Amino acid sequence: MIFWEIAKRNIRIHMLRSTLAMLGIVIGVIAIASMGILGNSLVSTVSDSLKSVGDSVIVTPYSGSGGGMGSPGGGGGGSSGSLKITDQNFQQIKRVAAPNVAIPVYQTSEHMKIGVGSDDIVASVYGLPTDDVPDLMKLQTGDYNNGNSGCLVGSTFAKDHNLKVGSRISMGTDGSKGTLRVTGIIEERGMSFDISTDNAIVVTDEWFENTYNRNDDYDEVVVKVKDGDTATVKTAIEKQLNKHKDNKIVSVTDSKATMNSIYETFGTVTTFVSAIGGISMLVAGVSIFNIMMMSVNERIKEIGIMRSIGTQKKEVMSMFIYEAAIIGVIGSIAGGILSLLAGYAVSALMLGTTEYLWTITNALSVAEGVGFGIVICLICGIYPAWQAANLNPIDALRHE
Amino acid sequence: MQPAIQFVDVVKIYPLKAGDVTAINNISFEVERGEFISIMGPSGSGKSTLLNLVGCLDTPTFGNIFMSGIGVRAMNDVELTNLRRDRIGFIFQYFNLFPLLNVIENVNFPQMLKSGKDVNPDKAKEVLHAVQLEEQFYTHTPMELSGGQQQRVAIARALINDPDILLCDEPTGNLDSKTGASIMELMTELNRKGATIICVTHDPTVAKHSDRTIRIVDGCIAS
Repeated sequence: MIFWEIAKRNIRIHMLRSTLAMLGIVIGVIAIASMGILGNSLVSTVSDSLKSVGDSVIVTPYSGSGGGMGSPGGGGGGSSGSLKITDQNFQQIKRVAAPNVAIPVYQTSEHMKIGVGSDDIVASVYGLPTDDVPDLMKLQTGDYNNGNSGCLVGSTFAKDHNLKVGSRISMGTDGSKGTLRVTGIIEERGMSFDISTDNAIVVTDEWFENTYNRNDDYDEVVVKVKDGDTATVKTAIEKQLNKHKDNKIVSVTDSKATMNSIYETFGTVTTFVSAIGGISMLVAGVSIFNIMMMSVNERIKEIGIMRSIGTQKKEVMSMFIYEAAIIGVIGSIAGGILSLLAGYAVSALMLGTTEYLWTITNALSVAEGVGFGIVICLICGIYPAWQAANLNPIDALRHE
Repeated sequence: MQPAIQFVDVVKIYPLKAGDVTAINNISFEVERGEFISIMGPSGSGKSTLLNLVGCLDTPTFGNIFMSGIGVRAMNDVELTNLRRDRIGFIFQYFNLFPLLNVIENVNFPQMLKSGKDVNPDKAKEVLHAVQLEEQFYTHTPMELSGGQQQRVAIARALINDPDILLCDEPTGNLDSKTGASIMELMTELNRKGATIICVTHDPTVAKHSDRTIRIVDGCIAS
């Protein structure tokens, strides 16, 4: 195809100019694709942290200020004061949620010492029925059967305080609440909406009730939904317990819905950041437009000759479109390849991990960047090509 | 047989802000097949307009032009472009070869426009042989050729699609007298072999090679 050949040769004889135009596209594609990769990696990181709690419905006492998110104590705060879920309410939740498991949770903060002569520290303490613990968490090492004076510790807590299975923790100020022996170390759970165990210890509900004089008044109930979906369970619990609008008993949080709203937020942020990257692509597009206009102006006489010896308008147009396409395709593909390196660097620097780099979503982000680069080049080549095709052959032939 | 070109009461008016300008005023003439016609006239007489009309780069305001019996006035841009490609060979004063293409590619260009991929690869060599350009220059670019060689390539390009007429605009205007004479010998030879040639020129020595001369003055045929 002669017009393809002419387009290629014209790019080659104006190599510097064409390379600079390609560089603009390369930068634009890198900006869009690497921002996309960063956003996707961010979502993957968060979603990995939250995936263990994606099937939970969390029931907390109604505080009058709308539903709450997450555990009442969070990662080491205090208990939720006098607001509790009664055993009667728990039984109702259990019935409504069946066959899914409903787990009653006690929670408080406590002073403790690890080893003789160590500093007094404060950490969250969760009290859970021993049988239900495997439904909520997995162990790194050790055993779930911790007995009445045994406890499980979170992975971060164990690491920070150098705890191993068999280590002892002295509970309360000056050991007033006895000593617990570590029987297992809990796998890292990351962020969670139900209970945050990474920096906490987990004891039996029996030990908790005896030590803190608590009896059947829970801080929280976690329903692990394995049958049906979380939204249905949430609705059923609300319908059962919050029968009267003016006298609500519980706040119910659907962790999956919360996660989806978090993902949506991240998606919006990713789009916004990519759009900022898109500005550089628009700048590159203006540069392509400029170069194509220069190319047309330099070749007016040539276009006149072509038209006079029988070249159709669409053929003249195709020649300039090919030129824009060559710049766009080469620039965009180079940008796509380099954006993987940029994405690697950005992920390593900002997220501290590159394990989410090779995913389909990231490949799509790169493809989007490449596609956008090519489309911008073609769009910016259309007007100059149209102008070239519509030159009056007589005027073009006279052009010097 | 239909004449190669027939002008019937052709008027060409350019509408300008300062007022309409009549460049060609009621011209009628015929060019028979195999004729060699030269068109002469002073600057501003309407020669270029006449050339544009004969070359189907423009259409008349009034009257009509018939190319081998086909009226061009009602043709659209695509039809006029096809007509230029298939029936007219253009030879310009400044050769007007494509600097990015070599000799063979320049000559083949109109053939590629007409036939797409079905180009006869030997045709370009045949016409280049006919215009007496040595084979060693076939892969050269126009910049690597002398003026006379470039004009021979331009003539070969004009001949490649076997046009009904060859339209020349000062074909020797940019050549020295010796090279110009050899180009005119070539044109005469082509005419002897049956080519219809219309040549716009200021040069009486060029006009001497033609069968007859049409003189244009103020947009009208003077003689």
